Parts: sequence; C-alpha cells; structure tokens
Amino acid sequence: MATISPAVIQTRALSKRYRRVTALSEATITVPEGRISALIGPNGAGKTTLLRLLAGLAKPTSGEVAVLGSRPGQDRAFLADVGFLAQEIPLYRRFSAEDHIRAGAHLNSRWDAAYVRQRLGSLGIPLGQMVGTLSGGQRAQLALALTLAKRPRLLLLDEPVAALDPLARRQFLAHLAEAVAGGGLSVVLSSHLLAELERVCDHLILLAGSRVQLCGDIDTLLAEHQVLVGPCKDTTAIERDHTLVQAVRTARQTTLLIRRNGPVVDPAFEAADVGLEELVLGYMGQDAAPARLAAIGEDK
Amino acid sequence: MTWLVWRQHRNQAYIAAAALGAFAILLLVTGRQMASQYQTALSACAASHTCGNLENTLILGTPAVSLLVTLTVVVPCLLGVFWGGPLVARELETGTSQFAWMQGVTRRRWIAVKVGWALLGAAVWGGAVSALVTWWSSPVNALKQQIFQPSQFDIQGIVPVGYAVFAVALGITAGALLRRTLPAMAITLVVFTVLRLVIGQDFRGRYLTPITKTFGFSGHAALAFPTGSYWLVSGGVVGPGGQMMSQAHGGPGVSLDGVPLPLAGLPSACRMLVFSNPQKFGSCLAARGYHLFISYQPAGRYWAFQGIEAGIFLLLAAALVAVTAIVVLRRDA
Repeated sequence: MATISPAVIQTRALSKRYRRVTALSEATITVPEGRISALIGPNGAGKTTLLRLLAGLAKPTSGEVAVLGSRPGQDRAFLADVGFLAQEIPLYRRFSAEDHIRAGAHLNSRWDAAYVRQRLGSLGIPLGQMVGTLSGGQRAQLALALTLAKRPRLLLLDEPVAALDPLARRQFLAHLAEAVAGGGLSVVLSSHLLAELERVCDHLILLAGSRVQLCGDIDTLLAEHQVLVGPCKDTTAIERDHTLVQAVRTARQTTLLIRRNGPVVDPAFEAADVGLEELVLGYMGQDAAPARLAAIGEDK
Repeated sequence: MTWLVWRQHRNQAYIAAAALGAFAILLLVTGRQMASQYQTALSACAASHTCGNLENTLILGTPAVSLLVTLTVVVPCLLGVFWGGPLVARELETGTSQFAWMQGVTRRRWIAVKVGWALLGAAVWGGAVSALVTWWSSPVNALKQQIFQPSQFDIQGIVPVGYAVFAVALGITAGALLRRTLPAMAITLVVFTVLRLVIGQDFRGRYLTPITKTFGFSGHAALAFPTGSYWLVSGGVVGPGGQMMSQAHGGPGVSLDGVPLPLAGLPSACRMLVFSNPQKFGSCLAARGYHLFISYQPAGRYWAFQGIEAGIFLLLAAALVAVTAIVVLRRDA
C-alpha cells in the first residue's frame, strides 16, 4: 500500500540525550497522513522521548523534526493541530470533568465540548465528580476524550490503553479508528505490546535500544520480509544478497529472517511469509525472538 | 488562561480573603480604640504638663493584638512559601503542566498569566495587610518615635509589598528550577529569611550616608539630637586627633547623654570616673579635647528608605521572574 500522501511527521537523524543517557539516537521516520501508527518498543526504547519531541514538549539535542510541516514548538497554530496525551494521564485532580471541559474551551480556539460530554455520557463517566475520585480507566477515557476534543490533525498518544481493561481497549481503539476514518486525522500511539494495537494500526515505528529499527506501512514491511527455513548450510550468499535480520541455527536446520532485495533463489531454502509479531520480535528482542522463530521453523 | 488560574487557586483566594477580612475587622476595631486612647492621654498630659514622660507611662493597645501585628512580619514569607512555592512546582510534579502546555495557549502565555496573577495577588494582599498595620500603628509611631526600628519598619509602609512580591517570585522560581513542591517551599523559606536578615542588618544602614553631628560635653547633649523618629546609626567620641571611636565594635561601653561610648581607648584617668563620678567624666574628656558625635538617619528619610528597600526587593523579584520565564520556556516539559 505505497502512497504518496504528504507526511504528517518527518524526522531526520533526530537525537535526544539527557546528560549521559541517549534516549533517542538518529531517528529518521516518516509517517504519512491518515495513518494509525503503532510506536512499538520495549520499555526504555525511547518511545516517550520520540512522542515528546514530536509534541514539542522536549527539544531535540540534534537532528531535524517536522510535524504537520512545521517544527514543533510554541506557536498557537501548531498547538491547535497537535493533541498529546502523556502516559501519566495528567489531569487536575481537584477539577471535575466539567471543569476540564470548560478549561479546554477557554484555552483552545477549536473545542468540541459537546463531543466530550456525549462521549463521557456514553461511557457513564460522571461530569461533576472530582477527577481524583474517578477510576484509572475513567481518567484515561476522560483524558482521551479531552485530547480528541481539540479536533487535532495529529494525535500523539503515549501508552493510551495501558489503563484500560481489555474491553475498553478494544472499544477505544475502534473509536479511534472511526475518528481517523472520518478524515483529517493521523495518530501515533505507543505501546510495548503489539498485540493490543495490531487490530487498528496500518503503520509501524519500531524502536529498540533508542534506535529506529523499522518504520513503514505494515503491509509494505510484511511484503519486504521473509522467513527462510532450510538445512544447516552456509548462508553467506543469502546474507550478501539480502539483509539478514535474524538467524537461528539448530543442529537440524537454519531459520533466517531477512529483508528481501529481490527474490530468493536458493532452492535449499523454503520461503514463508512473515507475520507482524514475528517481524517485530525479530527486530526487537535478541533474547525472546529466537525461540519464537525456531518454533515456526519446526512447524514447517 | 485567567479562568484556569482562577479555577485552580480560587480556594486559596477565598481563604486569603477571609483571613484578610478577619484581620481587617480586628485592626479597625482595636485601632480606633487605640487612637482614642492616645488622644485622651495626650489631652490629659497636656493639662498636667507631663507629656514629656508620656512615652514611658502610656501602654497602648493590648499585648495580644500588638503581638499579632508584630507577627505580620512573616506574611510575605508565608505567601512565598504557600503561594509561590507550589505555583509551578506542583504542575511540573503532577504533570498537569503537560495538559496545559498541549492546549492551544503557548507556554509564554501560560507562565505570564500565572506569574502575573500570583504577583498581583501578593502585592494586593501584602499591601492590604501593610496598610492596615500602618494605619493601626500611627498612635504607636507618634508615641514611640521608633519607626526605623526593624520591628516597625519591616511591617509598615511599602516594604511589605516589595517583600511579598519578591517572596512569591522566589517561590515560583525555586519551583520552576527544582520541579518539586516541598523542596521549593523549603528553599523559599530559607533564602527569603536569610536575604531579609542580611539586607535589613547589613545593607539598610548604607542606603543613604548618615548625617554626623559632633558636639561638646555640655550636659545638654539632648539638644543636639535630631527630632522625630530618627535612626541612630552610631555614636561615640571624637578624640583630640579627630579619630572617631564608637561602640560599633563591641567591648565594654557606657551611655553618656544618650550617646553610646566605648570605654576602650578613652584616657584611663577619665575612665575611672565613669561610675564614681559620672558628671566629672564628661568634663574630664572635654578637658582632654574630646567631643561627642552621633551618626544618624533623620526621620525625614523614612520614605526614602522604604522606597529604596522596596525597590531592591522588586528588582530582585523582576530578575527572578526573568529566570522563571527562561527556565519554563527553554527547558523540556
């Protein structure tokens, strides 16, 4: 699904260091318009840092970043177009939901108060109760609704579903997909679990060790990769022609995850399509993934 | 943005207004009583020609109210600690700044409105307390003539406004830098107190060059003293060679005609007379070419001193606001 729609996010060699720790290193990503992009990575991979750089809450140490065509920062047009929800779900604990809605109306030029009220009504979240007394899931739903009430063109959500129960997760993601289908909205949402986002996302940014491992439309990425299962033999030729992501060698067979450059010609190897989870694990964990990949190989 | 600030701090504002109201009622009632008490005493002493001694015989007001008025010296510090300290720190600590900063207002506007209202509140509140105390103290000031005393100077006139604005600015800055509420409050308390003491004790006397007067041991030295609420900075003797010796450096001293004298350095022949024959002590020194001197700030400089000190604290506050703005705008959320 290669598209030439304009990019809502474009970064080049974007890096962020906090004193001695490098939180994000040389990240170059592009997210086209209208995508729901899953920002996946293990804890500490730099997901939050990337989102905060995109939201303008943090300034990059080096590199370039353009969000909706401009550099994230303190101008009202940018702030009006970008919605960000931090992982901690920051809300004023002594405010009611209604207070937040009114605060939003005072602080934003574009504000859909009716949407928030209707959304909270359908979720059964009381408008007048102090936020500090709501449950974690209710707070998350309120914060998400408030973030959407800005009617942003880009929505950046840091672990948005972490506080929700499985049913609420599914409903929220469906709600999000609906909003994106309505047009004019792109979303990046982070999680360390792919499974919960897989259903709605059509774009993937994979971070590991503060570096971008993969970035692209999911269909394209899947088409570019292949699992090769074959005998225990020299794989130098394959490694020369293609990009080897991961290799698992057992006494009986070799299982390779490769990024293809053209067709694989070695008849000794059987090629199989790769699933999203295998792909992500292959890039992400050098510890968890081999077992998984080996298991696929055994099945063949 | 103003709506948000009001919604966040309206409870504090209500409490502050209620406290101020109660304080105002108390001072208005007791202040009127005290004023009439003073007037009555004045006319009584005028009739009996004893007004010269009124300062020592008349006790104005009640100790409890006087103590409360004296304690208003901590008002600016309280404002700094409880208003200024949490203002930005709590938002950074709980992350609500991230909510505010992703709404459609810039951080510049966010901090400007918050700081603006906080400082205005401090000025109004500190100013109101100070105005009440100043009005309430007018009979005391007239009676005691000690308006330059730190216990009076620090709670009257316009300096409390300067202190209050500075203290709140200090709290805000500490909060923006430390990003934690309790440490910001503690730092505000310590820095404000130390700075106030240092400026009050070591710098205030130097705002304007004191006036120095020398006069002989006539026994009528009181005539040479200035009138009104002057501030006696130092006093002592001028030796025959023109060298000035004051009590400023400690050591045993004695008061002669209201001038504090150092004993060290005086001719021993005269020193012997201090306790045995105080009247001869003066003439002994006079015979050896000594004079008395006093160095003082006249009563007329009171408002100049108030203005200078308030100005110093307002300038410091302005510098702190600038630091806060830079920190909030430049630093990552």
